[in-house]
Amino acid sequence: MAMLGYEFMQRAFWAGGLIGVIAPILGVYLMLRRQVLMADTLSHVSLAGVALGSFLHLNPTISGFVVAIIGALVIEQLRRVYRTYTEVPVAIIMTSGLAVAVVLMSVNPHLNKSFSSYLFGSIVAVSDTQLALIAIVAALGLVFFVALRRPLYNFAFDEETAAISGTRVSLLSFSFAVFTGMTVAASMPIVGVLLVSALIVLPASIALRIAPGFIAAMGVAVITGWVGIFSGLTASYYLNSPPGGTIALILLGFLLIAVFIQKLLQLRNRRSVQINKPKVRGVINHD
Amino acid sequence: MILSSMRDVVFGYGDRTVIQNLSLDIHTGQFIAISGPNGAAKSTLLKLMLGLTKPWSGTIEMNRVSEDGSPITVGYVPQLVASFNAGFPSKVIELVRSGRYHRLGLFKRFAASDHEAVKQSLMEVGMWKYRNHKIGELSGGQKQRVCIARALAQEPEALILDEPTTGLDEASRKELYELLDRYVKQRGKTVIMVTHALEEIDPYLDRVVHLERKEDTGWRCSVTNSCSVPFGQEA
Repeated sequence: MAMLGYEFMQRAFWAGGLIGVIAPILGVYLMLRRQVLMADTLSHVSLAGVALGSFLHLNPTISGFVVAIIGALVIEQLRRVYRTYTEVPVAIIMTSGLAVAVVLMSVNPHLNKSFSSYLFGSIVAVSDTQLALIAIVAALGLVFFVALRRPLYNFAFDEETAAISGTRVSLLSFSFAVFTGMTVAASMPIVGVLLVSALIVLPASIALRIAPGFIAAMGVAVITGWVGIFSGLTASYYLNSPPGGTIALILLGFLLIAVFIQKLLQLRNRRSVQINKPKVRGVINHD
Repeated sequence: MILSSMRDVVFGYGDRTVIQNLSLDIHTGQFIAISGPNGAAKSTLLKLMLGLTKPWSGTIEMNRVSEDGSPITVGYVPQLVASFNAGFPSKVIELVRSGRYHRLGLFKRFAASDHEAVKQSLMEVGMWKYRNHKIGELSGGQKQRVCIARALAQEPEALILDEPTTGLDEASRKELYELLDRYVKQRGKTVIMVTHALEEIDPYLDRVVHLERKEDTGWRCSVTNSCSVPFGQEA
């Protein structure tokens, strides 16, 4: 393929392949913990970190990464304060992140141009530093999800029973939040701030719909993520479309197809049950 | 041997006191029911005992080591409606296997004895034939049985159940009572169960902890004992 002759495309495919392993798995856990909006929120927080880094003449990738982790920890702490309304901290942090980013961008108008690549994602935006960061996050993520798969399973099913059976729920919850922040910040160059949650949530939504079991759900999520990312990157190269939007649209298409096929199967099953059902012959009493 | 000891425990929600000066000892090797009307803090009492909630004042001690030095493990079955995620993408057998995780740690592989414990617990609640079904496809009563099987698969020294008969028909409830009775009488374990169906379960019980709301003095719980084992004092 001609596009793979370009170094920036090679980098984009490497970055996409690495994110495609961890983001969908993270998405499955976030959905099960009813925290899907956390990814979206942290992408806005990370944008504030990028703006802050540019404002302070620091590496914006690193500052975005660090601020996303801090944001994740703050959300986790606030989640404990607002136990009844767990969506409140997400809204507070999302608003705060966006507000900081907008104010810092207005202070330095020259930053606006480079921000569009963060907002919408760009294949050429994947620098060597970012690729190295993605590789480190992916490696840490694999270790995290493989080594802690048993406590994470119990934790995702029910925190109370997990705590009673000896799982260190608080530690796991905070480390999960940190890892979510790292993944979101590392994914930004590929899909952009506005669509980063698409990579995390859409493959997981498809997997939870069609997978027959927990391990299968992880496999389906990763494969769906990879197919969506690689086909989205290819399409965006040839169509000259934004990669984030293209990947998100392809994954959305997969989700609609999965819903449609599932409905068809349900309809077929219902019909086969009705066909096989023995006819009841009743007697009408006209007394 | 005392499994759990509570002394002068006070607890509430917001500014409302729901447990006032409660003292209670739970002994091992007994089948104990916690009963009382809605709002009498039955589930709260379990959560305090398990350390999921901290008391405002007073002390709660859960004994984690038995007389022979082996650890006392606790299996917990929460109220179905409060805990069950219907969309959890798991097969029945995957969920019940997770009950063994704390014994195996992070990396130890499942041995034949672990597989046997999982199979046995599913068979005891009559769910072995559903082992490859997804949890979300099951009825409420079947989900409840799976949660009980998961707790049994842990082979805990103490089994604590919060209204486990919700969604179970009469025959299934009787089977569960007999199963828990065997767990206590034959294996020497402890069962603590929150229930509203005292008449049904009474023949199997060693003790009843009855919690009452004292309307005249606000939300307060007291304890009355239906058997001869001394265990606490009225609030």
